[in-house]
Amino acid sequence: MATLEHAGPGQLRIPRVAEESRPHALAWIGAWWIGGRAIIFATAVVVHHFGPVGWIRLVEHAHTFGPLEAWDGRWYRMVASSGYVLVPGRQSDPAFFPLFPAMLRVGHAVGLGYSTAGLVIANAGFLVALIAFYALTRSLFGLSTARRSTAYLAVFPFGYAFSMEYPESIVLALIALAALAGLRRRWGWAAVCAAAAALARPEGLFVALPLAVLAWEQRHTLSPRARGLAVGAVLAPAAAIGSFSLYLWRVLGDPMAWSQAQRAWGRAFSPLGAVHALDGLGRAISHDAWVTRDVIAVVLYLVLLAAAARAGVSWPWLLAGLAVIVLPLFSGSFDSIDRFGLLAPAAFWGLAALGSSARVHRLILGLSVPLLAAAVVVLPLHFP
Amino acid sequence: MRRVLGPGSVTLGVAGALVVAVLGGGFALQRATLRSPPQSTLVGLRAASWFERYRLVDSTITFDGRVLHGRCLQDWFQEAGRRRRGAVLHLDDGYVLLAVPPHTLEPSGGLPATRTASPLVLMELAGCPRVLARRVQTLAQQRRGLSLTGDRLTFALKATRVTLEVDRRSGKPLGIHLVARGTKGASRLRFTRVTTQLRELLGVSGR
Repeated sequence: MATLEHAGPGQLRIPRVAEESRPHALAWIGAWWIGGRAIIFATAVVVHHFGPVGWIRLVEHAHTFGPLEAWDGRWYRMVASSGYVLVPGRQSDPAFFPLFPAMLRVGHAVGLGYSTAGLVIANAGFLVALIAFYALTRSLFGLSTARRSTAYLAVFPFGYAFSMEYPESIVLALIALAALAGLRRRWGWAAVCAAAAALARPEGLFVALPLAVLAWEQRHTLSPRARGLAVGAVLAPAAAIGSFSLYLWRVLGDPMAWSQAQRAWGRAFSPLGAVHALDGLGRAISHDAWVTRDVIAVVLYLVLLAAAARAGVSWPWLLAGLAVIVLPLFSGSFDSIDRFGLLAPAAFWGLAALGSSARVHRLILGLSVPLLAAAVVVLPLHFP
Repeated sequence: MRRVLGPGSVTLGVAGALVVAVLGGGFALQRATLRSPPQSTLVGLRAASWFERYRLVDSTITFDGRVLHGRCLQDWFQEAGRRRRGAVLHLDDGYVLLAVPPHTLEPSGGLPATRTASPLVLMELAGCPRVLARRVQTLAQQRRGLSLTGDRLTFALKATRVTLEVDRRSGKPLGIHLVARGTKGASRLRFTRVTTQLRELLGVSGR
């Protein structure tokens, strides 16, 4: 079994890495970003002109990159253009966290349409995510793991969501930046990034785990003030979600509107939720066969986390990844886990461990590219 | 300062201040960047919540120069061996309308002037809860088609223009003004709790 160079977010000393000039690294990351996004955008253009039409013919086929504006993009645009509304018992927009719509508003304020702003922010955010993820991985595991895992992330088949009007790219960037800031003892920045990640998606909360272990390991070498900042950074994601609740309470009179809105999508957390999800799997698949893809995603992510564990990735990152992938099952549904799992950096470190042999490396890239294109082709056939 | 506060207190103080800053900063960011929903949407949703809460609405309807008393009950009905949601409307001239989507719309009894009226118009004027709630909720969700002037919320429902008079404080619907092609009407609404006796009176319990 392959192992990574070294693991552990809790390391005080950042491991020495092979020298690589910053411009060269940025150019290399930029090339992967362009390559991966080119596959997605070129496929979206083909889908726009030649189909399949599927569910999104009415709205999103009006634009060249329409398929990338489909699915929940509509909800984010709605929140950005006219704020939150909770319609009891119906799918409504407080289920969508506020940072991404707030960024759409800013994009709109500088003259972009909401759809254009969404695509620009998501894709530029993914470039930042790749850079931050590369830097974090290089700090934790060394250069070759950083290069492999960044390349895999750039063309990962479920990574089409990074180019859609979704906040996933922003959240991944913020998670990586928060951890990187923590590693570099910049706890104020770690707090800002962790809080922003949680304000964009609830999964941002789980970055608190690696941050907590980092803070614990640095405790003897930090000043009391820096220790306070570190503790604050660990609590910042929860506080950010609290600020969202506060806002919803002020605007809609219900601080838990975001949780209530989730129920209309069939998501209600319960201790037996995972059992219900498994129990109802046959029914769910007969109702919508695309759930199979999410089931495959869960299995794939779990395998990757297991590979990461065997390769020596430390437990806070594994636990955070496990939470991202397994906790949604406790809401009684497999839906969208392919997308949620993108926010588990440990899964990509697991993939990098598997790809340490040249043959497997070629196989991973060889499979990822056509699967990524295929994922964009089938976008219109499914409405999650 | 350091002599007064121990290192633990400094740590706790800084951590607490940071958490408060995130809480306040996050709230301020959302307030500054996101729009509040339109007042018409919020009033509409409050009105819809009354229709959702009560399944039975009593009404006094002024329609075509006549005054009628109506009672509309939202309930479950057996249709083709399946339980379906629907409504039954009773007017005091003997008119009874059973509406169970998607296939059943059965008017019976009543005066000729009532029988010739559109069933939808009568249901709207009688404040049939689900018909009105669903429409208002859909428009609220889509952020279009609801306009608010004072305490009057106006929207279109198929070929009718409905104005809902609401209590501004509670959002409770008080009355309806309706305009359709060649028809005008108005009504006052009273929300009533459903009892077994009332259901039997309306002929629902046996269905």
